[in-house]
Amino acid sequence: MNQRTTPYVIVIGGGKVGYHLARHLLDRGYEVTLVEKDRVRAQWLSHQLGSCSIMVGDGDEMAFLATTGIERAGVVVGATGDDEDNLVACQLAKRKFSVPRTIARVNDPENVRLFKALGIDVPVSATELLMGLIEAELSGSDAVKGVAVKACGATLVDVALPELSSLVGRRVADVHLPGGDLVVCIVRDGLPVVPQADVVIQPGDELIIYSTTLDVESVRELVTN
Amino acid sequence: MHPLGTCHCGARKARRIQIMRVVIVGCGRVGSLLALRLAGEGHTVCVIDEKPSSFERLGDDFNGEMVVGNGLEGATLRRAGIEKADCFAAVMPGDNRNLMAAQLAREIFKVKRVITRIYDPIRAAVYREMGVETICSTVIGAGLIHDYLIDGVNRGDAVAGAGGRT
Repeated sequence: MNQRTTPYVIVIGGGKVGYHLARHLLDRGYEVTLVEKDRVRAQWLSHQLGSCSIMVGDGDEMAFLATTGIERAGVVVGATGDDEDNLVACQLAKRKFSVPRTIARVNDPENVRLFKALGIDVPVSATELLMGLIEAELSGSDAVKGVAVKACGATLVDVALPELSSLVGRRVADVHLPGGDLVVCIVRDGLPVVPQADVVIQPGDELIIYSTTLDVESVRELVTN
Repeated sequence: MHPLGTCHCGARKARRIQIMRVVIVGCGRVGSLLALRLAGEGHTVCVIDEKPSSFERLGDDFNGEMVVGNGLEGATLRRAGIEKADCFAAVMPGDNRNLMAAQLAREIFKVKRVITRIYDPIRAAVYREMGVETICSTVIGAGLIHDYLIDGVNRGDAVAGAGGRT
């Protein structure tokens, strides 16, 4: 019953990222298999995670992957600290076992482009996420507090509008951002407002903008003007 | 023969040997042997390895380039001239590293001929299906030993070429 609503997830790599991810997913009721190469580490993991099925093996070995029930997996996550291992595990999952969704942890941000070109559905670059957050903190402007989440070539920017912004008083439908970028959410008095066409932007609103073309700084300039 | 005739013939021959720009990642036993042979044939060779001591395998007479760095990083590959390379060989110790380097060379840097050495026969076959040219040294080695054992024929010398005896 559970399998219908939540996909079976295979997490490859039982390091810090893999461990916390598996724990989080288990808490949310997912069926999870965590794959770890190192036997000693795997023992520790099974002590911590209990019900979770921990399997000892190489996540990039075809024969081993075949024993994990991968053919019914909805998602495979390559979560090791080595980009090349995450890439190969996800490519095998995708090409040989037809796993619908593959997510790879990418340690070197430059590899995001390569992973996408090679058919990995979601390359996640922790480095880029951190850079975005730190960049936003560094800018430190009161008028525009930005939290940028950069991943998969897109940026999510959270901007508190200054009173003088040219966007104030406009309908969402009349906000034209370059490159088809979108206002995906408005936060008003701490509550999310769905940005339907008729919603009028008010002073003090916070906009969450999804951009594939601009960096944080440009989005900020755009809405502050 | 007319002296001009031989001259023409020689020029044509020289033109036929195309000088290739080759980037090799991994300067272990295979990488160094490959680099020396290609450089000896007149090709333009650049070898990448993380450990500077690996380049000792090339000896003093190697006339190619050596770049210290991670062969999976775009910056290192660019320093090695991958943007102008005709050929790329990935011969590092790890299969996955080689597969990633090869796909980087093919997809991002558009190198025309990319060859990858792989130990695991299954991985070699899977990626060959996906269009990544692989040489599985395990399968080839086992095959050669098999033939030597059963047929008494050593085909290794023919495969090894000029570098085979070193």
